[in-house]
Amino acid sequence: MRFIESRLFAATSLLWLAAQILLGSPATAARHPRYGGTLRVEVHALRVSLDPREWQAGSLESATNQKMAELVFERLVALDNYGRFQPALATEWSHDGSTKRWRFLIRAGVKFPDGTALGAEDVVAALQPLLPATEQISASGNAIVIQSSVPEPDLLEQLASGRYFVYRALASGVLVGTGPFVLGEVPMGGGQGAEQNPGSSRSQASGAATSPGGGVHLYFRANQEAWSGRPFLDGIDVTLGVPPLRAMFDVQLGKADLIELVPELVPRARQANLRVWSSEPLTMYGLRFDDTQVAASDVRLREAFSLSLDRGTMASVLLQKQAEPAAALLPQWLSGYAFLFGVDTNLERAKELRRALPANEAAGAALLRLRVDPAGDLAKLLGERVAVNARQAAIRVEVIARPVPRAGAATSAPADPPAGVHLFAWHYSSLSPRAELDSLFAAYNLTEPSAVNAASTDHEQLYARERRVLEDRRVLPLIVEAESVGLGANVRDWMPARWGEWHLDDVWLEELPETAVADSSHTGNSAVETLPRPRPVAPGAKP
Amino acid sequence: MSFRTKLFLVFLITVLASVSLVAYGVTHYTQAAFEEADAQRTEALVAQFNTEYAQRGDEIVRQVKDVTDAQITLNVAIVLARPAPDFSLFVHDAAGAAQDHGLDFMEFVSWDGTLVSSAQYPARVGFKNEWVTSNKNWTDSAPFLRKEELPDGVAISLTVVRALPGGNNKDMYIIGGRRLDQNFLASLVPPAGTRVLLYRNLEPSFVASALTDSSGPFEQPDRLQPLIEQIQKQPQPLVRTMNWSSDAAAAESFHAIPLLGRNNELLAVLLLGSSRKELVLLTRHILQIAAVVAGVAILIGLLISLWVSARITRPLEELAAGAREVASGRWDTVIDLRGRDEIGQLASAFNEMTETLGAQRDQLVQTERVAAWRELARRLAHELRNPLFPLQITVENLQKARQLDPKQFLEVFNESTATLKAELANLNTIVGRFNDFSKMPAPEFARVNVNEALRNAVRLFEPQFNAVGKPPVIPEYFLTEPVPEIDADADLLHRAFQNLVLNALDAMPAGGTLTMRTAEHEGYVRIEVTDTGQGLTPEECSRLFTPYYTTKVQGTGLGLAIIQSVVSDHHGTISVSSDEGHGTTFRIELPQRQSAQPPARREETPAEKKKPPQSFTVAASD
Repeated sequence: MRFIESRLFAATSLLWLAAQILLGSPATAARHPRYGGTLRVEVHALRVSLDPREWQAGSLESATNQKMAELVFERLVALDNYGRFQPALATEWSHDGSTKRWRFLIRAGVKFPDGTALGAEDVVAALQPLLPATEQISASGNAIVIQSSVPEPDLLEQLASGRYFVYRALASGVLVGTGPFVLGEVPMGGGQGAEQNPGSSRSQASGAATSPGGGVHLYFRANQEAWSGRPFLDGIDVTLGVPPLRAMFDVQLGKADLIELVPELVPRARQANLRVWSSEPLTMYGLRFDDTQVAASDVRLREAFSLSLDRGTMASVLLQKQAEPAAALLPQWLSGYAFLFGVDTNLERAKELRRALPANEAAGAALLRLRVDPAGDLAKLLGERVAVNARQAAIRVEVIARPVPRAGAATSAPADPPAGVHLFAWHYSSLSPRAELDSLFAAYNLTEPSAVNAASTDHEQLYARERRVLEDRRVLPLIVEAESVGLGANVRDWMPARWGEWHLDDVWLEELPETAVADSSHTGNSAVETLPRPRPVAPGAKP
Repeated sequence: MSFRTKLFLVFLITVLASVSLVAYGVTHYTQAAFEEADAQRTEALVAQFNTEYAQRGDEIVRQVKDVTDAQITLNVAIVLARPAPDFSLFVHDAAGAAQDHGLDFMEFVSWDGTLVSSAQYPARVGFKNEWVTSNKNWTDSAPFLRKEELPDGVAISLTVVRALPGGNNKDMYIIGGRRLDQNFLASLVPPAGTRVLLYRNLEPSFVASALTDSSGPFEQPDRLQPLIEQIQKQPQPLVRTMNWSSDAAAAESFHAIPLLGRNNELLAVLLLGSSRKELVLLTRHILQIAAVVAGVAILIGLLISLWVSARITRPLEELAAGAREVASGRWDTVIDLRGRDEIGQLASAFNEMTETLGAQRDQLVQTERVAAWRELARRLAHELRNPLFPLQITVENLQKARQLDPKQFLEVFNESTATLKAELANLNTIVGRFNDFSKMPAPEFARVNVNEALRNAVRLFEPQFNAVGKPPVIPEYFLTEPVPEIDADADLLHRAFQNLVLNALDAMPAGGTLTMRTAEHEGYVRIEVTDTGQGLTPEECSRLFTPYYTTKVQGTGLGLAIIQSVVSDHHGTISVSSDEGHGTTFRIELPQRQSAQPPARREETPAEKKKPPQSFTVAASD
């Protein structure tokens, strides 16, 4: 009897094991990437420009632009998360001893969506408008040569980041690239109720559509001819202008797969067990003084102002630890020396300095106006905090917050009085600290002593340049903020770069059971390819 | 002004005063009653505001209690009571609580006063709110007003604070409030004709933009500035009436209520405006009715006054008419008035008086006539006696001369006859004068220049002005040129002027100045002849124009009578004024035109009334 029972138990176990193997379990299936599906992305930006020539260095808008452009365009080289340069559109590169002349061999067999091959001339035409005036680019056979008047030891870092995408401008003005996705038509069923927008701009190209709810969609379909292989996703449906809270609800309800998270929602998203990923600090908020108001030109007042700022509270309380106090212009992950700058908050000293100033307008007796340049509640909150801190040091500050522009609304310059202080936001886009510093200095007219070697990429030289500028206190860093995204439960192989690149060509979507998602009616997952085509392997292709 | 008019006016004034007094009394009483009603309405409005204010406070208390009782708030309190709590977890909780419970302001404050979360000013998170922790007992505390710091300024908040125990005797404080602004005013429902204004006292001095009504900034804040400034100095309720325009109906009563904070600092002033339009219109309506009633009463009073005054004054008018008839010479006038009252007695007395006066007048006329005859006889005797005496002497001499020799007799005879002739001529002259006076010719009017006539008359006497052996007489002319020509008989006028000049020369035996003046005045031409002689006594003045009266030894007394006759024939007047010892002035006024009725005589000027008593005027009469 005991024998029979044991045999019966063994047979039952074997049957159950066989059934599991034959039928396959969800847990087992999740381990293997699958092709198909549309990734639904929701972003806050109201509009996107895919033309790198239009991007403004350091602007918050350029972050979203760059993320969207990465889907369509590629760069010559790429940087992996280990800090190694990987071949992209360039398979080989070399430079002379002075690093003034660089030669890049263009990858063969790369085709645009229309089937035409990428040539060195395309690269030259694309990069020439983007490169600084000190650099000249020329084609030489299947290679390009970049000749610079100054040494460019960090040229690879520059070309691996920022706006240095390779594209071809069609006669219609539309830019096409060789990336894993192609800006395409919104598929039937995708973007329900969407309508083609006949008036789509060049930046939104032909893939832009508006939904009845007013949100603008961008649809990127998989590039079947991508040299690095077809991405797993069939397409990416990007909805623009989604409010942060609504985006979080959408991803919780399964209506979105990938959303941008504002700092104040990150703790809430984590409390809601949402998958949250945060980048390195990518956006700096700071103050810059100009001579529009007499008081702002007094270095003693600026020093008192700086000492009154409570950056720690700004980062840890107001931004709920989603930011770090910033004392340097470049973040630690980018420059490596930011820790050398101390955050100098000393309210008593600030009060002393303020008291020592003569009671006249030049010394800040008049109201100092602080203009919050970036739109958004976060910038306004920071501006108000700055004003509160300054008032503690007896510096009268009036905050002028620019109204948040609405989607589709015509923007008109507000007739605000001139402000001596501006709260600005700077988005780091280059992986080259020197290039980033140059862009920042140029954007805000921060002058350096002539003795400084501005072309040097040496960290000591960079540190010296930054310190000299900061000592003048015409610019005061406040905080550096990370980018955060929320991910749906079905998003797999999410392997972004820590500097904010999403790498959506590696992402695939897992089919979840009905109970796993509150709303499983999203259309993207229905278009799953049943017979995945093996990804072509090319030299330097991503694993 | 006639007595009837005076009496009528007295009656009218009495009626007017009575009606006005009654109308004023009614109006005043009515207005006072309306003012009291308006005050009661304003008090009701104040009471309503206080009720709604209290209800609003109770509502906030309830809302804050709901926040305090919420599980999420309790969780915050528990976390805050722990050592080294992480404030960043709650930065946005207050905003959510405020939104969920419909509050404008919401703050979470930890047990040590640190602001943990703020809906209205999140940038202040981390700052201390020591005023919250200074009061240990917020349980059941009443709502109060406080200044709420905001990023864009300061607001007034109706605030409630509640403490929430978090463990370890570490209470968390929940501060909730509603903004006291124009929306708050809009939520009040004032009665028709009233409105509510709010002044937020955020600055030491008056700020126009801080005064709002339910629709936004108040349009005429400056008008209410004095009222608000007075409350800023002394925070006590005040009532003022504002006149927004010249129309009284646009006026508005404002009941100003100071709204104080916890420390009795003035935070706001509530102005409850009550339009006086209804009151003023009602008062106007009553005034209109009163005016109509008063008008009717005055009209009736007017008619009654007319009737009564006419009834009272009619006997007096009859008496006056009788008196005028008596004055015009009808001494037999009798007034037919019967009655036993004072008027009847007066009429009877008047009749008796006229009867007596008539008798006395007849007697006087008789007496004067006798006296005139006596005077004429005396003058005739005197005038005739003077030539008769030489005649008698001459005749007697002739009789005596008969005894002389013929030669001597002839000589005496010749002399006597010469004397007789002369005296007879003299007698003839005297008789001729009297004859001339009795036969003054009727004037034949023609256009005459008075100045020329006067100069011609004076020119005849020029030889006498500088006669040898006599003191000189200096003529002076003050003649208005041109003087209007008058209708006059040139010969008679010349004769009258001659007599005037002759009179003046006779009055200045010691020499002097003869002044001639002419002037035109209101249709008359005035001629004045002034001498600087000894002047006349008042008695002489009064008798001067009596015929045959003279003050001169050789005068006949006919000169001035002739002048008076000429002036009278020209419908003029002559008067004399004399200052004894300094001279005499004769003044003649002749009408410019001779018509059936000469121009009305002007009233005497006050200066003329002040003339000395020896001035006499003789009105011309035919």
